[in-house]
Amino acid sequence: MVRLEYIKKQYTRTRRVHGNWYLASYQYKFNVKRINQCLEHLRKGELVGLKCRSCNTVSFPPRLICPKCLKMPDEWVHLRDTATVATFSGTYAQEAGDTEPRPYPVVAIRQDGSDTTWLANLPEGYDFFKVYVGMPLKVKWAEDKKGDFSDIEYYEPIEDPSIEMNKKEEAEK
Amino acid sequence: MEKVGIVGYYQVKPETDIQMSRPEMIFYAARGALDYAGLKRDDLTTVISATNDYYDGKTISNCFTVEAGGAYLKDESKVEMDGAHAVNYGLMRCLSGHHKLALVWGASQPSTFYYSCIRVLENDPTFDRPINLLNDYTAAALGMRAYMNKFGVSVEDIAKVGVKNHKNAAKNPLAWNEAQLPDITVEDILNSEMLSNPVTKLMHALPCDGATALVLAPEGLAKKIIDDPVWITGVGLCQETYYLGDRDLSISVSMEKAAQKAYKLAGINDPRKDIDVVELFEHSAYEELVLAEALGLCEKGKGSSLSSEINGEIPINPSGGNIGAFTPCATGITRIIEAVKQIQGEAKGYQVKDANRAIAHGQIGFCAQNNIVFILEGGKR
Ligand SMILES: [Zn+2]
Repeated sequence: MVRLEYIKKQYTRTRRVHGNWYLASYQYKFNVKRINQCLEHLRKGELVGLKCRSCNTVSFPPRLICPKCLKMPDEWVHLRDTATVATFSGTYAQEAGDTEPRPYPVVAIRQDGSDTTWLANLPEGYDFFKVYVGMPLKVKWAEDKKGDFSDIEYYEPIEDPSIEMNKKEEAEK
Repeated sequence: MEKVGIVGYYQVKPETDIQMSRPEMIFYAARGALDYAGLKRDDLTTVISATNDYYDGKTISNCFTVEAGGAYLKDESKVEMDGAHAVNYGLMRCLSGHHKLALVWGASQPSTFYYSCIRVLENDPTFDRPINLLNDYTAAALGMRAYMNKFGVSVEDIAKVGVKNHKNAAKNPLAWNEAQLPDITVEDILNSEMLSNPVTKLMHALPCDGATALVLAPEGLAKKIIDDPVWITGVGLCQETYYLGDRDLSISVSMEKAAQKAYKLAGINDPRKDIDVVELFEHSAYEELVLAEALGLCEKGKGSSLSSEINGEIPINPSGGNIGAFTPCATGITRIIEAVKQIQGEAKGYQVKDANRAIAHGQIGFCAQNNIVFILEGGKR
């Protein structure tokens, strides 16, 4: 569990009584049929997004309902395997066995060709201080693909041509 | 819009670990609001509460607060959102003509649960929950980064909002003790514990225990109860998509739309001229800027250049705002009460001069997903 809270003070007067509300597992329905096509493509190492026919918004991962049009998008469009960082953070969390909190990048990634972003992984141990908005990335596929979103093992940072261009521009000035 | 007046209110002093049970805390808020108005419980026709089942550790948690909240044998309902949304519910009931007096209260005790962990349970179970890292702090960090990047705003400019709100909180006896920091500097804010880069602890609202309540009455009745009711003359609310990835986090479209609706009802053409004071529910310092911009108080990206001190051109959060005391479920009601106090001239120590028209705001969801804006007016002009 993520423990970011400040430390609770000891109570003095009121008694704190422990109660249980079992929430660790519960069931919910997710209609996999609606995104099967996407999962099949992932198994093959391909990316598809779901496009709303009325407003042309493309979502990846596929959203089952278009909030703008209140319609169920049903047109699959192919997406490139490149992406960009939309926004990001680095947070601190302590996993079981850790002696102190470790930094974790939290990165909102926009797959090229999609209008939406999602939180996905960078290479393990990647220094989030190197991340910036607009940073180009490329999908690193998993070795054994299972036909789910874990087939995108992580997003690998790739060379950013805009950095060279900016340097050139500055040099010319 | 027909006018509804605020005739009574009460704030329980927010504390890190309040030495009261939940029903006691709610009782003091409800009883205090009725006493302010000089009303009996029997006078009430409807009671609306704002609580959260997850926070309270009980399902349908309002069935346990009937006695404390004054709802015994009354028409009663609950909003699982911010207190400001409960006020809107009470307002609608008054405007329906079927209810004369509405008691609205909100409360929670974050000292009994891990707030940031509970917020993880608010996440979409398929895509966001397995990551286990999306909570208030990381959501604020994603929003703050998007805002800074789009408009070229520095982290120091955002820290200044934290400085202002902590200093204002120090003047407000009903702010959270831990947030009352009269000598705080930008450096203190930037050097405080990093919650989620670039959001530090002192630029974020940290939850504490608290309860607040207010009483609403339709125009005719309100004038009979107290001499100077503050009127709700406009309200607007608007909801965004759940998925942060569908939104541009550097702006707040829902706040803009909510404000436009409220302005229209209240007949406000230029909020910069017509509004004297603003009480915002900001989860994080950058959010105050985004929300102020969405209110039309300045251009987008220029929020940090607003003169928003207590004696500034457009004072924002003279009470210290949500950074000054974040009591989940109650804080939206607190914003309304603080705006009312400004209009009544009761905000001793942090009074804005000649305040007669105010904005009070509530919200719910990551990165201000759902916003509600109230326009409040006194009778001075
Ligand atoms: Zn659409």
